[in-house]
Amino acid sequence: MKFLCVPCDSPMKLQTVGPPERGSLSIVYSCPECGYEIAMLTNAYETQAVQSLGVRIGPEKSVAEASADAGSAAGGCPFSAMIPGTQDSQRREAPDPVPVRWTAAAEARLANVPEFVRPMARAGIERFARDNGSLEVDEKILDAAREFFGM
Amino acid sequence: MKGYHDIVGDGGSRILEQVAEQRSRIADGLAGVRHLLAVGSGKGGVGKSTLTLHLAGALRARGLRIAILDADFNGPSQARMAGVQGALFVPGAHKVALPRASNGIAVFSMGSVIPESTALDFESAASGESHTWRATREFALLGEILASFEWGALDVLMFDLPPGAERTVQYADFLDPFKPRVSFVLVTIPSEVARGVVARSVAALSKGPNRVLGYVENMSGYYCRDCNAVKPLFNVSQGRPALQIPCLGTVPFDPELARHCDQGVPFTELPDTPVGRALDHVAQQLLDTLESRSHSDEVSLRTLR
Repeated sequence: MKFLCVPCDSPMKLQTVGPPERGSLSIVYSCPECGYEIAMLTNAYETQAVQSLGVRIGPEKSVAEASADAGSAAGGCPFSAMIPGTQDSQRREAPDPVPVRWTAAAEARLANVPEFVRPMARAGIERFARDNGSLEVDEKILDAAREFFGM
Repeated sequence: MKGYHDIVGDGGSRILEQVAEQRSRIADGLAGVRHLLAVGSGKGGVGKSTLTLHLAGALRARGLRIAILDADFNGPSQARMAGVQGALFVPGAHKVALPRASNGIAVFSMGSVIPESTALDFESAASGESHTWRATREFALLGEILASFEWGALDVLMFDLPPGAERTVQYADFLDPFKPRVSFVLVTIPSEVARGVVARSVAALSKGPNRVLGYVENMSGYYCRDCNAVKPLFNVSQGRPALQIPCLGTVPFDPELARHCDQGVPFTELPDTPVGRALDHVAQQLLDTLESRSHSDEVSLRTLR
């Protein structure tokens, strides 16, 4: 989608993407020439059409943001992070009695797992770690799991 | 006033860029795969998944490197049949490792992570209305799977397709960038109804430059272990719909094979029964057909046997 500032005949630039509210995204564009701003407000069908493509609207996420997503996605709907702000925390699996920590490197690897299976991958690996007497998932544990399961 | 094509870029939404990135990741992920073989039908319940798994096993027994992608996201069955229900998806430095059946076949199936009592669900901003977006989302899911998992060096990646002639064509469209490595094989049973639906799939695939290797007739009789004979299951009439593609073989129904499927025990060593010999014959036909179609490839599949 592109927007044109008609008086300036200049393409407008995306500025911000507001989190979905009742299925609607608020996407603000501004004209770099005159500074005029407009907001595109999507209806639920338009939001869903974009979400179904498996993309997110707007600037690329930073590594820190992506890592934070990986850490917070333990129990969300499939593709919930594809559009910023749609993450669902209501379906988190029942907490285990003993929490397992993840190192930053292991979290970064977990971000390679597609969003829709990440919660199950996280839970399974934590179970493997506990079974092997560890309360921390690091890269060694991940490598051990791969070896154990013959991957 | 400027028009759409006068403006460079996409105004910051990055949608086209992300779609292109995903396609690039899929291409990278499949770079080591020699053949992408889609097993479809159009008709449900004809044994696509069973044949996919056991033909994969027969090819694997010949020394080929095989993986299965269970593309029937809404009715996945490969996880149970291949014995990878509850398998872990373990991330590596770049990609996610694939679970493996006991015979070494790599298997991706939603059935590994979604219990059989649970339906695949997607959150929707559109208050349901899934008919307007569901197929798009499922293909985005397929793309994410192809891009994220370690397919590595494979001789054949087999796609176990969902039913529906239109879905078969949608998969052909999705896999179009990977031609000429993409082939289709269709599964039918002897009933006129099933052959009629498969004939529609053949017609639909024929509208594009799709490589259809042929069809396999499943349940072409049943194997009675008491009398060690194959007996008819269907009345075969002369007027049944003709399929204008080669028949790669016929496979009788064997309750023992069904039992293996339910228990997740692969036929790694096909027993000397009519169904075992039939599967072996079809696998050889597939191999020969794939090989004849890829004679320009650097490595012959025969050298891997």
